[in-house]
Amino acid sequence: MVQTKLFALGRLAAGAGLCLASAAAWAHFPIGHCKALDETTVQCKGGFSDGSNAPGLTLDVISYDEKILLSNKLDKNSTVTFKRPPGQFYILFDAGAGHVVEIDHTEIDS
Amino acid sequence: MSKVIAARTERTASKAPASGVALKWKRWRFYLSALVLIAPLAYLPEYFEDLALSRGDAGLGQREVGEFAVGPWSVRLAEWQIAPPEREGLAGYVKLFTLAQCQECIGHIKAIYLRVGEPRSLRTAGSLFSGSPYRQMAEVLIPERTGPDDEMWLTLEGWDGAVHQARVPLSEASPSTVQWLQQRKGRP
Amino acid sequence: MTQAKKVSKSKLWFLVHSWLALPLWVFVFFVCVTGTIATVSQEIVWLANPAVRANAPSPDAQMLGYDAVLEVIEREHPGTVVEFISRPVKSQFALTARVAYPDATEASIYVNPYTGEIQGSTSGFSFQQFMRALHGWLLVPFTEGFSLGWYIVAFLGIPMLGSLITGLVVYKRFWRGFLKPRLRLRQGGRIFWGDFHRLAGIWSIPFIAIIAVTSIWFLIQAVLFDNNISFSTFGVPPIVAREDIPPVEAGQPPPGITLDRAAQIAQQTFPDLEASFVSLPSNAYDHISVGGRGAYPLLFETLSINPYTGAVEHTRRVSDRSTLELVTGSMRPLHTGDFAGTWLKLVYAFFGLLLSMMVFSGMLIWTKRTAKETVAEVKRRKSARAGRAVVAAEGGRSA
Repeated sequence: MVQTKLFALGRLAAGAGLCLASAAAWAHFPIGHCKALDETTVQCKGGFSDGSNAPGLTLDVISYDEKILLSNKLDKNSTVTFKRPPGQFYILFDAGAGHVVEIDHTEIDS
Repeated sequence: MSKVIAARTERTASKAPASGVALKWKRWRFYLSALVLIAPLAYLPEYFEDLALSRGDAGLGQREVGEFAVGPWSVRLAEWQIAPPEREGLAGYVKLFTLAQCQECIGHIKAIYLRVGEPRSLRTAGSLFSGSPYRQMAEVLIPERTGPDDEMWLTLEGWDGAVHQARVPLSEASPSTVQWLQQRKGRP
Repeated sequence: MTQAKKVSKSKLWFLVHSWLALPLWVFVFFVCVTGTIATVSQEIVWLANPAVRANAPSPDAQMLGYDAVLEVIEREHPGTVVEFISRPVKSQFALTARVAYPDATEASIYVNPYTGEIQGSTSGFSFQQFMRALHGWLLVPFTEGFSLGWYIVAFLGIPMLGSLITGLVVYKRFWRGFLKPRLRLRQGGRIFWGDFHRLAGIWSIPFIAIIAVTSIWFLIQAVLFDNNISFSTFGVPPIVAREDIPPVEAGQPPPGITLDRAAQIAQQTFPDLEASFVSLPSNAYDHISVGGRGAYPLLFETLSINPYTGAVEHTRRVSDRSTLELVTGSMRPLHTGDFAGTWLKLVYAFFGLLLSMMVFSGMLIWTKRTAKETVAEVKRRKSARAGRAVVAAEGGRSA
């Protein structure tokens, strides 16, 4: 796994005086999961692939025609709850360019 | 009477070689842990192969996918390793791809993304490539529901704001991934 | 008939002490020796390869700025992309730059930090990297998760800690060994190695404790990581916002602050941080990372600077870490001893050598003592049986 190879290299590189600090940008995958608390409320939880939290991560609810319906940020528990908009939409956990997770409205656990 | 003594000493004598073997075992069993040192010897060739791959001495990746025209530019894509996708923690399975920009494109391309399936928007264009224009890498998530006929989409952003895209069939980009997907489908 | 000996408690501790180490002693010895070499591997390279040395042309020579280094590299190898520069302050090591060449190869090059002369580049094989891979995970590769070799090596921390504790229990009133050190050189191998083992042992108590505990941490760390358990407070890694990137005319180079400016911003933000490395952005949305060691030398502190605006968009200081992160983050530098310069590494190497010899001497003591005792035991049994045979024969005769 390149991530851990990099991570391992970073560790031993750190010993040699080097440190692969900015490797964090692509060694980390954001993850997200959403479920419907009831008919009108959706709760989403985000984080990273290594199990760490993502407080403050941007979460946007976007309609299929690319209109941003809601724009939120995950709280300190990496969670956010919002009212389910009508129509078709997808949820976007956005940690920045190239680091996003899309969850279609059909993929929300009920 | 002497026969009894002879019989007893004979038995004692026959025990001596047996306890000699037991002695040898008692001593040499403590060297058994040396067997674990076979591991570094066995993995030594792979260590140097991985080193060569990292340094770029073995090419862009273990398997070159090909050169693709994307708008006014072209890029060379390669699979870093021909092994099937690997688990990336809680995110799912990922595959690492490498890419080289064409000589004339360097300085014009701002960012390159790769993903399975057509992106909805630039924000969801996929994984971003990192590295130098001569060799950059991206780990691409392979969703569980990916079909063997699906395509990979390359999205290129120019510094001037232009966006160009190209499609690469998954079967061309990574046959090992297609094989892996088929094997997983077979499972209950 | 021999009477069954009452096994004393002390004898039991001694047996545990032996059995914790002996079945694995070859493996443990290998790990200790490779670790000793690994800790000074960078210094060994310094001795062997003049290209990695930073010889100042005069005592008051000034170190070059990062931009000057970039200029030198561009002049010597046009088109080279520099990805990372490590420039430890007050060091005998040359500046190292990780670069990518137009032929799609990568290398680490050594630059004299005072004159800017490119002294050499890695041949593709890094002795330091090799020794650490050999010691840390027996070269067994990392595929999904931590290497199996890592687990096996880290596991040794448990018997090592057990050996330390049982050894001190067995060595009655061990503190007297500090006041009255005894190393008898002329009374045979068994006596010498016994004295050596005890003397080296008591002087190595803190070192062995550090190595064993940090090794056990490495085991825990692998288990946590492979089970996606994280207590990291790092949060969302910084990524440059799209709005911060200005549009660029066709053919014009993208705008950005210089590395010297980034270093200056870092210096102004955290005056007590001794910046020793700079990581250049790896794509258009990446930050310039500047980092080094601050007041707490075991951990690195970093700043992420927006390359377009110069804003500091993320910092990671010692104070940003939780107590757990502070403690566990200190484990690796404590294990390798690489946080305070060459003198500490030499201390570690010395104790590493002592520890390796302790493993070896432990085996020798056991061999000489138990082998001797076993031979004596066999002789005793032989004579006992012969004696019994005589008695039986006499008994038979009388019958």
